[in-house]
This record gives sequence, structure tokens and C-alpha cells, in this order.
Amino acid sequence: MSTDIQFAIIGSAGDGTIAAGDILRRAMAEIGYRVISFDLYPAEIRGFGKCIARLRVTSEQAYSLKPKSDVLVSLDDSHAIPHAGEAREWGAVVYESGSVSALAEGSHMSAHIDPGQIPYPLRIRELSEKSTGSARSRNIVVLGYLAGLFDLPLEPFLKALNSKFKGKADIAAKNEAGLRAGHGEGRAAFRLDDIRFAPPPAQGNGAKVEMISGNAAVVRGALDAGIANFFGYPITPATSIMERLAAEMPKHGTRLLQTEDEIAAISATVGAGFAGARSATATSGPGLALMAEMLGMAVIAEVPSVVFVSQRGGPSTGMPTKTEQSDLNMAVYGGHGDAPRIVLAPTNVEGCYRVAGKAFEIAEAYQTPVIVLLDLYLSNRYETVPFPAKPPFDPDKSRYADTRGGPAGFQRFALTADHISPRSVPGQFGGMHVATGLEHNELGRPNDQPEMHTAMSRKRHEKLKAALNHPDFTVTKRFGDEGKVDVGIISWGSTFGECLEAMIAARSEGIRCAAMKVCMIWPFPVEAVSAFMEDCGQVLVPELNYQGQFAGILQSHIPRPVARLAQVPGAPMEVEDILCEIRRLAAPSGAGADKQAV
Amino acid sequence: MSTVRHHVVIGSGVAGNQAAETLRQQDPASRVTMITTSRLPFFNRYDLPRVFRGERDWRNFIIYPADYYRKNRIALRRATKVVAVDSANRTLSLEHKETIAYDTMLVASGAGAYLPEELSEFRPLMHGFGGFKDAIRVADALPEGGHAILLGGDTIGLDLARTLLDTGHRVTLVAGPHTFWPHEVAPEARPGFIAALERMGIAVIEAANRGGIAGIAQGAQGLSPRSLTFRDGSELHGDVVMPFFGITPSLDFMLGSGADIERGLLVNPELRTTNEAIWAAGDVCQIWTASARRYTFYHGWKNVRAMGELAARNIVGAGEAWVPIQDESLILTPDGRVHSPFWEYQ
Ligand SMILES: Cc1cc2nc3c(=O)[nH]c(=O)nc-3n(C[C@H](O)[C@H](O)[C@H](O)COP(=O)(O)OP(=O)(O)OC[C@H]3O[C@@H](n4cnc5c(N)ncnc54)[C@H](O)[C@@H]3O)c2cc1C
Repeated sequence: MSTDIQFAIIGSAGDGTIAAGDILRRAMAEIGYRVISFDLYPAEIRGFGKCIARLRVTSEQAYSLKPKSDVLVSLDDSHAIPHAGEAREWGAVVYESGSVSALAEGSHMSAHIDPGQIPYPLRIRELSEKSTGSARSRNIVVLGYLAGLFDLPLEPFLKALNSKFKGKADIAAKNEAGLRAGHGEGRAAFRLDDIRFAPPPAQGNGAKVEMISGNAAVVRGALDAGIANFFGYPITPATSIMERLAAEMPKHGTRLLQTEDEIAAISATVGAGFAGARSATATSGPGLALMAEMLGMAVIAEVPSVVFVSQRGGPSTGMPTKTEQSDLNMAVYGGHGDAPRIVLAPTNVEGCYRVAGKAFEIAEAYQTPVIVLLDLYLSNRYETVPFPAKPPFDPDKSRYADTRGGPAGFQRFALTADHISPRSVPGQFGGMHVATGLEHNELGRPNDQPEMHTAMSRKRHEKLKAALNHPDFTVTKRFGDEGKVDVGIISWGSTFGECLEAMIAARSEGIRCAAMKVCMIWPFPVEAVSAFMEDCGQVLVPELNYQGQFAGILQSHIPRPVARLAQVPGAPMEVEDILCEIRRLAAPSGAGADKQAV
Repeated sequence: MSTVRHHVVIGSGVAGNQAAETLRQQDPASRVTMITTSRLPFFNRYDLPRVFRGERDWRNFIIYPADYYRKNRIALRRATKVVAVDSANRTLSLEHKETIAYDTMLVASGAGAYLPEELSEFRPLMHGFGGFKDAIRVADALPEGGHAILLGGDTIGLDLARTLLDTGHRVTLVAGPHTFWPHEVAPEARPGFIAALERMGIAVIEAANRGGIAGIAQGAQGLSPRSLTFRDGSELHGDVVMPFFGITPSLDFMLGSGADIERGLLVNPELRTTNEAIWAAGDVCQIWTASARRYTFYHGWKNVRAMGELAARNIVGAGEAWVPIQDESLILTPDGRVHSPFWEYQ
């Protein structure tokens, strides 16, 4: 028996919904389960409204949340009632059984519990008030209740609670009382649901499993890769990268500067890269737009620099607290002139760590800006990640020139067989101290002759191709059935988790199905993707943008019909939607890609 | 104002469910809401003794799948307690302070186990058998081949005794004046029925012969979990003690509603209470029996179901009178066993 249980805690801002989800996922990870979780907040600007903490607890790492939760907790009926149908058949619905004020018909959770769901009424407020003297610990009472109900050890909950309220002994003690009060009720409650926790899996291979968010994993990757400078300007959903780095970098003797805007941030990042230091910035779509010009500068000056971009709904201010994958075209093509860069996209939290660290290596190896595309869903979601005992990142292996002979012959932009030239850093005797945005010759002197511009353009484009074989970097990976399949899914970024879950479900229905994730989007891995598509009767490309931007890039390289599943719900894609498409494509009627082909 | 009538049924037992289904059929355009304190959908309580045969999944006891309620558009409100009825405004209040308006109300809130006053202080040491939770708890407490002490009797207890014997347990019945409740057994017939119980394998102790029950205690370490003391000083040891003293109607919430109450809710032969918008059916009500010039309780699931159906039909205007449909006499079978018609529920 294995564990696969999803919780949804729904409340209003101020109910401690997100805090409850956080403690719960930490406790579950501490017990030894794998967790994936993603919270929904109201738009920060207003500071009130619906909050949902969802977490899926499994024996093996899951790839996405499930469409239905096994346990639904209401901390605020007005927000939870519209989600009542989200609890699965025979799943548990925990809600406040009392009320302080008179209620109109239908405004209590009990009115919305389906006959197939199991009601767990609980005197949440009363228990909180009795055990802690206030109603504020209602969220913690519920956590204790869940622990008691499902026979989970209390110790990990206490640990998570104490770390959450570190340095606030009084608050921690009160909440502990609330937790214990809820726990007693949970143990005494009569179980009618069919939710079962199997013992957590044994942990092996020396990896240390930690609960971490996508943005925190990016930070960890950057730190493990030896980031020396970070320049940034806050923007949702990238801000927490800078916040975390601000706390961590001083401990490493490295520097972080909050600049006046995104243009300054990218300028400083490119400048520090030019000086030979591992440097990065982080932003979201609107910030990336502002950075476009300076990215072109990094391209022409061949300066390694890393830009983390956490996408949100756009264009313009768009939907700052909603997820989307619609900055792909800008990441790949955005900017003036032919300005190729490398675009990487991790698909899960573990990937955030690896890709963030590798981005520095890759930027240096190919002397180019690297954009790492995240999105709100990936940035904010938590997963248990097995971290390797030793960071898997190489130190700077840039091809630095030996310029001790003096400045006479140093060709910073030498045209070489692999299109990569020797570098120097400012201050290096005989090196090159100035980088301009002008087209240049091999010595770096201004030159706008057609032959030179052509040669340099070719160099800047061709050198990137080697990145497709960069050591220890997963450019693409195939999952599912081997050989010929009815339907092949190709996807990128955070949506790939839902694709995998859909593929697994499709296979269990007897559909031959495989999925390929593409982690390096530019340069586009034409060979690997073509080979995969050769195996696929139909190809489905799910992504969270309106145009099907990735499908467009794919088809510009491989002119073959694909079915696009392009959605902009502002939320992760539903596994069921992908599954429906797979079923449709696999149907013998052949209602396949041709109809939807673009 | 909405013209759709809202029928509210309180209780999701045999009477309530039959009534809800009938209301749905007879008044298709109406809203039907069934309110119950139970967390389970309607389940077969007559089958509860199966827990001693190892059946622990409550889903195997439920009578209708979840879809039945969806398809029949019966809003089922579980884990919900009605605490007051305001018949003047035609509203009822739920424990969590929600108010529900009704056009017609059917009270089918049944009855709870009756416990004599002198035993109430020992309630924590006894196991009830009124619902699924009780059944699981007692089944957990009674070991294989264990000894169950049944106090009182009644047809529910005796029915359970049959299963317990069949599943290899020991059963002692501490019999009292209402051992065969709700059947009326003439004093002269009683020894014959008691002897029949003994033939079935039940050890019978007449409580009166030992001066009555003095108390129940937790067994000391190493002894049986429960010890029962009689007033004559004698003791009886067992694993569980279960009271079966008949039932008492559940109608606290009807106090002050304007509907008349004696022991049960009083209804006329059409099952309407003294309030024109409130009807009642099942264990909760006493029906006016003109021939006997008194209000009578009718028991047994067949009667209860018929009441639920009749009340619903009358709510939508049938105007029919109650006729009991079940024979209520206890019999001795030719092979010398006790048999109650209430046990025929298959
Ligand atoms: C264990 C057991 C075995 C039995 N075996 C037999 C048998 O073999 N044969 C037989 O003929 N009879 C048997 N009976 C008796 C039979 O069950 C009853 O006669 C019959 O169930 C009564 O049905 P009812 O619908 O009136 O009430 P019930 O089935 O008691 O249902 C009452 C309903 O009202 C609800 N309710 C009560 N108060 C409130 C409130 N304030 N607010 C909201 N809801 C409320 C309860 O939750 C419940 O859903 C047995 C009873 C028990 C307990």
C-alpha cells in the first residue's frame, strides 16, 4: 500500500490558511512522505479574500496536484462552499460545527456536503478559545485534529509549529495547546472515510530530502553554484528569490544590491559578468521586457549572465498573482537584432535547483546570457527534494586567455572552430577592458562591414548549439511507453507535471502514451524532439499561454501537425483536460491533430 | 416569492427516507430537504449485527448510493441537528444557528435507547447499539468467544443475541419486566418464552430474583472488563454490558413548537400533528386510535415505513387514514424458538 492523500485547506486571508498548509506540509515531509503543494492567495494588493493551501502527500514524489482532494478543510465557509465539490467521493470534509452569529439558509458548509462525502463537524472556534484563550489558533486546532484523525505522530507537527514561531515562545506555547486540543478531538472522532496513510517510505542513498519552494530551490542552486553578485528589483512572483538571497548572501561574503529598476539590475548583472563574477538577476515578464535592450548588449559583448524569470499572467500588469507561461516568446526572441540566448525551463522544484546552478556554468561555457523560465506555479509550489550530498555544479571553467604577452594580439572575439573565444576580465594585463554594444571585429574594435557582421552573427548563433550537449544537463527526457505510441505529449516548464500525471492516467486506460519534457528551449533540441515525434501517432503540446508559443517554436523547427492545448486559466492546467485531449487523439476515429493542427 | 414548496423532513431513518422519496414522486416540482444528525446516509440498522461477522465497512450497510439523493433531488443534510421549530413563522433552527424555512415539515426523528434512571450513572461502562459507531465500538470490545451481558431485553437486544450466539459468543440476558418489548407478553406466557430463550443458548437471569441491578464496575486487572453486581450481592462478569430497555422518542426540539406531545408527538390518523403544517411518522409519534380512545405507538420497520409514505401522501393532499400493516404478536416456533415479526426485514 502506498500513500496518496491530498489536503485542501480553504479560508480567508487572516484565518491562517496558508500557515496551516505550511505546517502541515513540513510535518508530512518530516514524517518522511513526499509532498507537492501549491497555495492560492488573493491578489496581494487588496490583502483579503480567499486563500487555499493544497498539498498532496505521497510515498513517491508526485508530479502535480490531483483534481480532487481527499480531505477538504473549511476555515471560512463563504470561501470553502464553492469548493465543496472538490472533496472526492468518500473523502473527508472538516468544518466548523458551531457559529457565533445567525446564518441564512445554505450559508453553512453542512448544506453543501455531497451524500458521497464524509462530514467531520468540529467545534473549531470553541476548542481554540478554550485551549488558547483566543480564536486565532483555529487553523492549528484543525491541524491537531487531522493528526489525531489520521493517526499521525504529533511530534513532527510540534517541530514544524515551533520552527514557524521561532523566537515567539508565548505564541508557540499557545498554538501547541491548540494543536493538542485538536489532536484529542481527532483521536476521539469516529472515522468513516477511507483515507489511509501507509508508513512513509524508507529514505536511502544519502540524499537529504527537504521541503522547499521553487524559488527557494533556485536560490539554493545559485548559492551552491557560487553566485557572487545578485542585482534585482522586486516583482511578483520573483521577489522571494531576492529576499532569500538577501538573507543568505552576506553569510557567504557575497553581494546583493536592490537596484532602482530592472534596467539597472540587468545592467549591473551584465557588468559583473563581464568582470568574471557569477551574477544573476530575477524578475517577471514586465521586468524582462525592460531588460531586453541590455540582454542584447550581453549577447553582442558575449557576457555570461543569468536571468531568472518567473512568469505571471500578462500582458502589462496583467494578473500578478496568477500563473502563466506566456513570456516564452519574449525569452526566446525578445529584443532587437539577432540576439540569440539560451533559454532553460525546469519542470519541477528539484529541476529549479539543478537548472539554476547549471545556468551559471552554461552562461560561462557559451559566453551568453541565459534565461531561466519559471512561473508563479513553479516558484511558489513546494516539493520535497532529495538534495545531493555534494553540489553537482562545476566552478567557472571559462576559457580565459593568457594575455601576459601584452595587448597587441589579444582577440577577445576570435573566430574559432567551436565559435567560442578566449575571455579576459577587466584589469587583466593585456586583456580587453571595454565592452561596447557596437558590432566589432575579432579584436573588439567597431566594425560594421557586411562580412564581419555576418561572421559575428554566425558565431553568436552557432556557438549555442554545443549547449545541447552540455555535460550533466538534461535537455530533454522521455517518460512512459517506449517505442511507438498512440499519443506523445511534449511540454515544458511547470505544466509538465500535469502532463506526466495525465500520461500515467492514459496508460492505465490502455492508451500507449509517452511524454517528453524539454528543459532547454533555445537552442531548440530539434534532433531529440524529432526523434520522439517519429514515435508518436499524434503529438499533443499542452502549455499555459493563449497562442501555443512553445508549439509555435516547435513547428518552426519541425513542420508537422501537433495538437495544441493552450489555456490561460491563471491556474495550473487540469490533468483531466490533458487526459481528455489524449483520449480524443487516441480515439480510432482519428479525430486527431489534423483538426486542431496549426 | 417562490411558488416551489419546500418540504422538510427531519430524520433519515426508515420513516424519513420513505417520506422523502414519496414527496419527490408526489410533488416533483418541490424542494425536498432531509435533515439528520447522522453522519452516514441512510443505512440498514437491522443489519448492524453483521459487524460481529466481520463486516466493518459502513458502505456495505447503506441502502441507497450517493447518487440516489442526487437523482431524486433530495438535499441530504447530515451531521445537522434541529434544535427548535418556530411553527408560527414556519422556520426551524439548526444547532449551528442556521435557519431554514419550510412550507411543510415531517418529523421522523425516531427514538433513542431508553435507559432507566437508576442505571444512567453507569452509562460510560455500557455499550449502546443504536448506530454504526456503537456497533463497531462494541464489536471491537467483545473478543472472540467473549461474554456479552444484555440488560433488559427488547426485540432489538434479542435479535442481537441471536447473532452473538451464532458467532460463537456467550450471551447472558438480565431479564426485566419489558424483556420482550414492544411485544406485550401475558405473565402466564412469559416463562415459556424465557425457557425458549434458554433453549436458544441464552443464559437468562431474572433481575428481580436477585433484587435488581445494584451497579456496574470496571473489572479489576486480570478479570473480565465489566462486573455487574446485583442487590443480593451476587456478581456477573463479562466483556461488555449492553442496555436494551426499549426506546424513547427524540423530540426535544419540538418542545415549544406548538405541536402537542404526550410521550411521542401526537398525530391524528392522517399523521398530522396539532400544527397544520407539521406531520410526523415513525418511532417519534403516537397515532390517535379511535377504537381504543388513546394515542398509540406502532413499531417495526414495516409500520414505520408505511407511516413515512402515508404522511408524505397526506402532505400533498391524499387525506388517507393510518392502518397498521404489521402483526405485532410474539410467537413460539414449532421447534421451540422465540420469533418476533419485527425480525423479518430481509
Ligand atoms: C439496532 C437496532 C435494531 C433494530 N432492529 C429492528 C428490527 O429488527 N425490526 C424492526 O422492526 N425494528 C427494529 N428496530 C427499530 C427500528 O429501527 C425503528 O422502529 C425504526 O428505525 C424507526 O424509524 P424512524 O425513521 O422512525 O427513526 P430512526 O430510524 O430512529 O431515525 C431517526 C432519525 O432522526 C434523526 N434525528 C433525531 N433527532 C434529530 C434532530 N434533532 N435533528 C435532526 N435529525 C434528528 C436521526 O439522526 C435519525 O436519522 C431496530 C432499532 C435499532 C436501534
